[in-house]
Amino acid sequence: MQSDVIVIGAGVVGAMVARELSRYNLSVRVLESGSDVAEGASKANSAIVHAGFDAKPGTNKAKFNVWGNKLFENVCKELKVPFRRNGSLVLAFGADDEERLKELVDKAEKNGVPVEVIGQEELRKREPNVSPEATAALWAPTGGICCPYELAFRASENAAANGAQFVFDAKVVSIEKGWKVVCEDARTFTAKVIVNCAGCHSDELNNLVSETKYCIKARRGEYLMLDRDEEKSFSATMFQVPGPMGKGILVSPTVDGTVIVGPTAQDIDDKQDKATTYEGLDKVKEGARRTWPDLPLAKVINEFSGLRAHETTVGDFILGEAADAPGFFNAVGVESPGLTSAPAIGLWMAECVAEKLGAEKKAATDISHDVSWWPITREMSKKDLADLIQREPSFGRVICRCEEITEGEIRSAIRCRVGARTLDGIKRRTRSGMGRCQGGFCTPKLIEILGEELGLQPEAFLASRKKAPKALIQEALSASTDSFGAVDVVVIGAGPAGLAAACAAKENGAGKVVVVERDDAPGGILQQCIHNGFGLHRFKEELTGPEYAQRFVDKAHECDVNIKCGTMVVEIVPPKEGEIYHTVTTMSRRGGLEDIKAKAVVLAMGCRERPRGALMTPGTRPAGVYTAGTVQRLVNMDGIMPGKRVVILGSGDIGLIMARRLTFQGAKVLACIEIMKKSSGLMRNVVQCLQDYDIPLLLSHTVTDVEGREHVTGVKVSKVDDNLKPIPGTEMHFDCDTLLLSCGLIPENELSKGAGVEIDPKTRGPKVDSSMATSVPGIFAGGNVVKVYDLVDWVSRDSEIAGRSAAAYAKGIL
Amino acid sequence: MNLICINCPRGCELTVDRVNDEIKVSGHACPRGEAYAVEELTNPTRMVTGLVKVAGTRKPLPVKTRVAIPKGKIAQVTNLLANTTVLAPKVIGDVVISDVCETGVDVIVTANC
Repeated sequence: MQSDVIVIGAGVVGAMVARELSRYNLSVRVLESGSDVAEGASKANSAIVHAGFDAKPGTNKAKFNVWGNKLFENVCKELKVPFRRNGSLVLAFGADDEERLKELVDKAEKNGVPVEVIGQEELRKREPNVSPEATAALWAPTGGICCPYELAFRASENAAANGAQFVFDAKVVSIEKGWKVVCEDARTFTAKVIVNCAGCHSDELNNLVSETKYCIKARRGEYLMLDRDEEKSFSATMFQVPGPMGKGILVSPTVDGTVIVGPTAQDIDDKQDKATTYEGLDKVKEGARRTWPDLPLAKVINEFSGLRAHETTVGDFILGEAADAPGFFNAVGVESPGLTSAPAIGLWMAECVAEKLGAEKKAATDISHDVSWWPITREMSKKDLADLIQREPSFGRVICRCEEITEGEIRSAIRCRVGARTLDGIKRRTRSGMGRCQGGFCTPKLIEILGEELGLQPEAFLASRKKAPKALIQEALSASTDSFGAVDVVVIGAGPAGLAAACAAKENGAGKVVVVERDDAPGGILQQCIHNGFGLHRFKEELTGPEYAQRFVDKAHECDVNIKCGTMVVEIVPPKEGEIYHTVTTMSRRGGLEDIKAKAVVLAMGCRERPRGALMTPGTRPAGVYTAGTVQRLVNMDGIMPGKRVVILGSGDIGLIMARRLTFQGAKVLACIEIMKKSSGLMRNVVQCLQDYDIPLLLSHTVTDVEGREHVTGVKVSKVDDNLKPIPGTEMHFDCDTLLLSCGLIPENELSKGAGVEIDPKTRGPKVDSSMATSVPGIFAGGNVVKVYDLVDWVSRDSEIAGRSAAAYAKGIL
Repeated sequence: MNLICINCPRGCELTVDRVNDEIKVSGHACPRGEAYAVEELTNPTRMVTGLVKVAGTRKPLPVKTRVAIPKGKIAQVTNLLANTTVLAPKVIGDVVISDVCETGVDVIVTANC
């Protein structure tokens, strides 16, 4: 996939760079190895916007710190991110430290940062909880606090609003000049310019392309977080006189109202090791007590650690184009004050890249300021909140009671442009789970909402807090490959017919093959057919429906067939004169409306059941009348039993199978009623589903009345004559709460008709020749969409012919 | 007596005669039909497929007996399944109940969850 610029890394620096780049006429793609924005250093740090008195004058750190600090207010306002200039105090403990304060004043002057030294009395007046051992302090009014990951989220949202594309779970393993980037999963991206914002791994990426080698040591910092009760303990950010390893242990209020204490500084070898340690946390406590002797340990709600990307050869931010790799821009070694500098680095880097590519800024009216902001109920006035709940009731259902986060906020955090796909993603976007109980109460509800929104089982989100479920990664992977360019074959429907056709197409030389499936999982109707009896011919064994389906799903994966679930085809438009591609328009929650261009199409939409209306059964229209397949889905897949006393009209195989299933699940099946003289289902099913359980099969009978106003209370059944007319005086009555209809299947051909495919009035499916070609060139059909089959083995066999033919057509040999 | 073979969709109509200790079968298209008839008279068996609960979700998990079990045990097995809850994840073939109701047959999972 081609773009003008690839930004590697979606931390706060990458996000700010992407945001600024997206304001130019450039296509921007952000590759992130994690499953979310701000997964590295931006996730866990002190969250301080430094004034800039500490950085060595003349360095990049000094320049970008001071510049970034000036930009912060405005950036946070634009991005609707909380920011507070609470000022910083650097504490001196005795005469030696006070000497060091003077050095800081000197540096501050050179860096252009306003500071003043205050005495002990003034200090204790401002911060009553400060240690009496502190003898003086440096006051820097421009110091501030903010939330680093919130900044990264909103910057990403804004970048995405301006067209930047975010690709997650994309770990870069190789970079070739010209620029081609290959990920661990073999996805390949090309661009004119690369911006390396890979944090702790930025040295590795630079070293892939440049002879100037850098070396980053991960410097781990451990922290403690204190409850909101302690919000008022300190108003400024409390530093101590800095040492060689950093700015020492600080105590600071956060924008969320908690208090952060830390960090330690320990160089470690493993760039992923974010464990906390006894020793580290002891150091935090010890260091913090120098500032705050009464540090209330009972108020600790969390401990965590973060990694800073400390560059060991230069010791400064390394920013700009690599001398021997034109078009490769570095942001290497961005450790503290990296958060403060991020807005300035973003601006500066985007300017450099734009200049390199001769890109112009978009017109002011074309630049979106949207940041996917949603209402924060906790901060609203009662009136506004009441109004909001009336409009959007989900904002009235509190999910996280500690932080008072509502369902509406959580769903918004999933639905936004760069939405949450993990528990941590929700936690950091909404604060749900960040309070006193640390997710104890809300986790079960969060996984349920994640499951609903993203179409997965809730438990899928328990495997990892920060890595998206495999199914989502797979989905994103196939989405990112199919939504671009054309394919050889599109198969519509991922039931046995569609999967068999897709595999056959692939095995017969088709290039890219995509299966589009409206359900959330492949397998089609077999997923709900949990009984055995499938596959005797093909597999020489008796499988259940889900087992049979899984064999084809596995085969499709082996054959490298792309399956797009949760996606409905809404239209097929055959190629016009002189064109070669069919346009298949799909609709999905994630992708919206998308067109797939395909040389050949295989129709495999299956069939549907005849509904009650088509049977013209007299009586009322109460609840409790279902087609057999509907109940099969309710019982076997959703775990819902619709009733206790059941009459089945029609003796189709699904009805017979459901008679046994409902008996197993504890219902009483009173009778199976068939208007014809013999069962329309297989005899084996009459034996093993009805006779085995003494369920009467009434042949030459039909339902002549359905009773009940709200819900079915009973049915009347009559004998019919040779002309299938009810014979008066033969009525019998059944007390039942459920009537199941099993009266035949109809091929589903709305799409086929829309594409101009000729339909056979007898089978109600497309007219096909021996190659399963329909009347429209390039459109083939297989399975129950063509005619209703008794056996799935014949469905897959005939669909394979359709798949083979589609492959041949796509290759131009049919 | 007459039986319908349930081994495959063909559903052969079998005629079974019991002469002394010998069972004579006719009407079958394959040896499985003959075996079915003899078994049906001596020890009738059936495959049982069903559902078990999965902890933490309403969505049930389909299961089956690995092979057919004696017909007389079916009710006992289906009752047991109705009261069985398993923990995810499970993959096709995982055993959820071994030697179900002393039949010597395992109940195994038929879908991944």
